[in-house]
Amino acid sequence: MNGRVFPIDRQGAATHPDPARAYLTAIPDLAELCRVHDVGMELIERCDDLDALLDAVLEEYERRLAELPGEALDGRSGPADAAAARKLRALVMFATQAAALKEKAEAASELRGHSRSLEQIHAHLAGVMGAMGAGILMLGADGTVLRCNRSAPSILGIAEEELTGKPVPDFVTLVAPESDAEVAREVEGSEQVLLVARRALEEGRGEVVLLSDVTARHRELEERHRIERLGEVLRTLSVLSHKINNPLTALMGRAQILQARQGTDPQVVKAATVIQESAQRIAELIRELAQVVKSGHQEAVDRVLTISDQGAPGTERA
Amino acid sequence: MILRRSLQDGVVVLCVEGTDALDTACAAAFKHAAVEAIPDGGDVVVDLGGLDFVDSAGVGAFVGLYKAARARGARLRFAGARPGVRSVLELIRLHRILEISDEVAGAARELRERRRTDPGIN
Repeated sequence: MNGRVFPIDRQGAATHPDPARAYLTAIPDLAELCRVHDVGMELIERCDDLDALLDAVLEEYERRLAELPGEALDGRSGPADAAAARKLRALVMFATQAAALKEKAEAASELRGHSRSLEQIHAHLAGVMGAMGAGILMLGADGTVLRCNRSAPSILGIAEEELTGKPVPDFVTLVAPESDAEVAREVEGSEQVLLVARRALEEGRGEVVLLSDVTARHRELEERHRIERLGEVLRTLSVLSHKINNPLTALMGRAQILQARQGTDPQVVKAATVIQESAQRIAELIRELAQVVKSGHQEAVDRVLTISDQGAPGTERA
Repeated sequence: MILRRSLQDGVVVLCVEGTDALDTACAAAFKHAAVEAIPDGGDVVVDLGGLDFVDSAGVGAFVGLYKAARARGARLRFAGARPGVRSVLELIRLHRILEISDEVAGAARELRERRRTDPGIN
């Protein structure tokens, strides 16, 4: 007991710095009552600390028991005199009060223990949520964002304050409840693709929304599709060049024969020359296309097609 | 008065023998012997089954023993009190302050269980 309980002398008078209180405590019964009051106040102050309360209770118990005559607790004889009876009553009064306070302190201690456990679980969950790359939004029953992890504002490119306590972002509502879907949205002039998963909590307590930025994966998929399409184009070109090459060779051969034959009409020779030159151009294009097929670059295909677009009509007309 | 010490599944059991009353005559000796027998941080059951009567000195020894156990980080329960002793403990409400069980085996089991679920709390 630290200073609030004042020792009682052999005559039952307490020493107290307050003169009025000292006067009252000089009367034996009142001294005991004042002591019970002081100890009671001391215990109430320690009520939120079970260990401290028990220390105080046990000390006071021990002191009161030491003051009690041995036979006072003998149920057959009872307290020998009125003073012993008063001390026993005071002890019982104190003990009743102490027991009630101890039970309350135990309940409070248990509650604090549960509270600590909840805080630990909360911290653990926050740690798990924080460590996840996916954004997590916890929505209330009215669709307001109650909490989010670190990744969510980062994925959405906004501050956490702009997210929590506000209605869920519009794009989330494009996804049906209890389903997963990709949603494309415009962010600072470029497209962001988010995989949104919505899951309801039990008993209508709201919803959890998972957000994953799949923009990069989406681009990779598009690139893969483009490469596959290009592959098909190249395979077609390969077949075409092979099929064109055979008749072209025959055409060039015939044109050369016509040019070389003696006595051929000059108009025919001229036409044969044009045919041969055009056929050579076509053969050149085919060779270039064959190179493109080997290298497999779209840019090379575009270049060849551009060259052929520029050169062919003029040649044809010439 | 003899204080018999035994071990029951890791729990120290202290049993008062040789007297049926714990009073001014033997309370101090009981407290001294029992405090000596408390293992630091261990579990103790005080078997009161051999006693028919305790006076204020005997009850004071129980309180002093309980305080000593707390100071050593040990867990202590009283058990097996007969009606004469139990009525005294109930009269002064000590049964609501100290930890008191009906049977020694039950008290030991409760201490072991608490040790298992909450090893850090005494």
